[in-house]
Amino acid sequence: MTISRQTPSGLIVPNVGRRAFLGAAAAGAGAFAADMSGLDILKHKLLADELKRQEKHVILLWLAGGASQFETWDPKPGRPTGGPFRAIDTNVSGIRISELMPKLAQRMQYTGIVRSLNTRNADHGGGTTLMETGRPPEGGLDYPDLGSILAHELGRADSQVPDYVSLYTSTEGRHKGGPGFLGSRYAPMFLDKDVMPENIKRLDVVSELDHRERDDLRNLLSQRFARTRHNNSVGSHNSAYQRVRGLMASEKLFDVSQEPQAIRDKYGPTQFAEQCIVARRLVEAGTPFVKVARAWWDSHGQNFETHLELVAELDHVMSTLIDDLKERGLLEKTLIITMGEFGRTPQINPSLGRDHFASAWSASLTGCGIKGGSVYGKTDDDGHKVAEGEVGAPEFYATILQALGIDHEKHFTYLGSRPIPLTEPGTKPITQLLSNV
Amino acid sequence: MQVRNPHRSRLASFVLLAGMISLGGLSADSFAGELLPPEKTIEEVVDHYIQARLTTDKVVPAPQSTDANLIRRLTLDLAGRIPTVTEAQAYAAATEPDKRARAVERLLASPDFAYQQRNELDTMLMSKTNDGAWREYLLKACQENRPWDQLFREMMLTSDADEGKKAALMFLKSRARDLDELTNDTCKIFFGVSINCAKCHDHPLVLDWHQDHYFGFYSFFQRTYMNKRNQLSERTEGLVKFKTTEGVEKPAKFMFLTGSVIEEPPAPTLTEDEKKAIEKARKEDEDKKEGPPPPVPAFSPRTRLVELALKAEESRFFSRSIVNRVWARLMGRGLVMPLDQMHSENPASHPELLDWLTRDMVAHGYDLKRLMRGIVLSQAYSRSSTWNGPETQPHDQVFAVGLTRTLSPRQYSLALLFASRNSKSLPEDVLSPDWANRRKDLENHSQHLANQLEVPSDNFQVGVSEALFFANNQHVQNDLLNEGGDRLAGVLKTIPDRNEQLKLAFWTVYTRDPEAEEVAAISQYLDARADRLNVAWQQVIWSMLTSSELRFNH
Repeated sequence: MTISRQTPSGLIVPNVGRRAFLGAAAAGAGAFAADMSGLDILKHKLLADELKRQEKHVILLWLAGGASQFETWDPKPGRPTGGPFRAIDTNVSGIRISELMPKLAQRMQYTGIVRSLNTRNADHGGGTTLMETGRPPEGGLDYPDLGSILAHELGRADSQVPDYVSLYTSTEGRHKGGPGFLGSRYAPMFLDKDVMPENIKRLDVVSELDHRERDDLRNLLSQRFARTRHNNSVGSHNSAYQRVRGLMASEKLFDVSQEPQAIRDKYGPTQFAEQCIVARRLVEAGTPFVKVARAWWDSHGQNFETHLELVAELDHVMSTLIDDLKERGLLEKTLIITMGEFGRTPQINPSLGRDHFASAWSASLTGCGIKGGSVYGKTDDDGHKVAEGEVGAPEFYATILQALGIDHEKHFTYLGSRPIPLTEPGTKPITQLLSNV
Repeated sequence: MQVRNPHRSRLASFVLLAGMISLGGLSADSFAGELLPPEKTIEEVVDHYIQARLTTDKVVPAPQSTDANLIRRLTLDLAGRIPTVTEAQAYAAATEPDKRARAVERLLASPDFAYQQRNELDTMLMSKTNDGAWREYLLKACQENRPWDQLFREMMLTSDADEGKKAALMFLKSRARDLDELTNDTCKIFFGVSINCAKCHDHPLVLDWHQDHYFGFYSFFQRTYMNKRNQLSERTEGLVKFKTTEGVEKPAKFMFLTGSVIEEPPAPTLTEDEKKAIEKARKEDEDKKEGPPPPVPAFSPRTRLVELALKAEESRFFSRSIVNRVWARLMGRGLVMPLDQMHSENPASHPELLDWLTRDMVAHGYDLKRLMRGIVLSQAYSRSSTWNGPETQPHDQVFAVGLTRTLSPRQYSLALLFASRNSKSLPEDVLSPDWANRRKDLENHSQHLANQLEVPSDNFQVGVSEALFFANNQHVQNDLLNEGGDRLAGVLKTIPDRNEQLKLAFWTVYTRDPEAEEVAAISQYLDARADRLNVAWQQVIWSMLTSSELRFNH
């Protein structure tokens, strides 16, 4: 029996009980689950660690189109490439960021900045695939994206909340991502029209009682069929249906109007702000991964006006999100990532724009597992090249995984095929940004 | 053009290479002396080799499935749908000793077979597109039972000028902008090998060999491109160079997986100006919005690849792969698993059987129907899918139990449409024109549902979006649970007797009688809703349609 607890926002959240944990172990270990049922998890450090790991969350703020590092995390004031904005001090001495982010500047103690990404692919499609999956595409093998990787690593098999939600309402650069070889169990709940998921509401023609009891009947028929057939796909079919009613109960997680007005006011009235409220509500209820995409940063023209607007919004909303998570004791367990498919050129083009640039750009990691108030890597004076600490997508991914307590060298244990490492052998995380090493 | 991908250098594989070397050196005839004679029937040979392994492994297989279960399995595999009540009950009641063979011939002759065959080939070749002309082309090919080698030739070499067949080029066209994908998919789908197997098995001694193979295969496609008129074209020149793991630049040869190399005839010596003029003319033609497709060059690497790959002494990759894929589709797993890892370090579960079937496939002109007929007539195919023994279930690879298989999106959609119909409203004779029309309508109708479903992969897991769709989508309520007279929900209303109702519902959806515990549970459900029996029956039908029993071939 799963025990539930009431959260401050009034949601019923199932605790990670023993059965739930074993279910989660089953998701990873498949056929071995039966053998584990006799173990007492409290006596097994490995399993206890596993349990802890499963309380971690990620909110990915995807800056679609590619945000400028100059107008965010790596300003170059006074240089020919620097643009009109100044750099300001933060509350961590020695770290200066763009003046467009005054609120984040006062929360630097939670954030680690990477200023030395060289990801080599400055094409929207290629860059997106690379940054979404953490590795270059390889013909013949369809890699899962970050959300699916983490749904697989952090999610629970019998989770009552969705374990990967992706909010991407604007059309520019929209990309669904997905589970690749991990299979559709780990596909995102993809919300591209509305913040409310499809098919999550009961049709009026079926009463609440009938909806539940017809499902009990379905379950009885399914169980009878499965009894003598030892097959993982058959098991997954019934599991998928068993998650339906829990997910339907999570409908109100997607309903921003359930949030107190005072909190909504803090985030502000924008769509991005509302989506971040939904992300927080989901995380609070146990969802391991939420992606909120904000478009469209692709400022080939009028770069500075675009960034004036978008960075100000990011600064405000992300700062509010940090405070909100902190107040709820969730920041220690939640990693906020900002990144896009690439950064923007040092050169300012005749339309006062900056173009695609993947050779020296920035991303940020805030919260869970991160040594706050730190900066890793350095670009040269004008931001043309990485001067120190060059890293690519694989190293960035290894860092994310390690921050969440996941061994980046382990292998996907998806059944039946050869093991595949989470990151390519030899990839090193950026330990300088990690608090847990 | 220069291809440089340091990442790919690690794709080199001792394992894959070892496979290539040994497979490349052997023709099917090498085994001829040891194999059962070619004139035996496929079903005899299948059962001989499967039984041999069971005997060696001391495994007692599951018994044969029931008639009703077998006709469901056969109908899903050969017709892509579940049987109607009439079909199933007629089969169960028939007493002729050769009734199974007759049923198989009837299904193979029905219009349903071509739809099913088309849908399966479409999924295998193009899992992510939904192109009308391509699907029509494949359907026609399946109606004619065109040989597999001919289909391969058509997919690789048809001219855009051939209006009737140019849709065959979809395989290439959809991948022409990414030659790595084209190379990989062609290797995987047609030849049963994937360069990715290499990744975990670095072997420094053969690293360059492997790169030679990869870039060799890539070379056959490297001159292929699409012009502005969406016509497939091929340049007259262009060589692939690659960097070895030692960082040395090396030109690739036109090299097939077996190591065989095609030499390009020396090109006429041209001045720089002449070369420029040729390229200029080509470029102009490439950019034209209208006009005929450009001519095939005198030396066409793509043509040479097809010729080479189908030559008797080189065709083992091609022929073994299709045998393994057809086997996997009908039996639930390949004789070699995974399907794209057909190399010598990964032997077949039944090597002689694979060799015999491959020899038979080549000897009978790549007739897919022949192989399918043979497999489904075997005892191995018709074993029960349940395992009740006290011992743990034997490993899937010995084929001691009928393996439970996830239905494809099309199969499941059609199964749902047939299961929600009033069986009596369907024509009885599947060879009649009425049936052909009805089947065509339902085939088109199945598209909407099929689009909601994921294509199953190995170790498929059903996603929750599928369950949410069936739980709450309007389409399910309005279409599958519709109470019209041609629907199951409609006809049940007209039957006064509860047991008759249950019997009809179970035969329609599951092709069997209900069991006592099911009768009890459903009766209890209905009795609790005596004031709204019609709605209650709709809900019972919903439960039956969404239960795992309909979702799988078993």
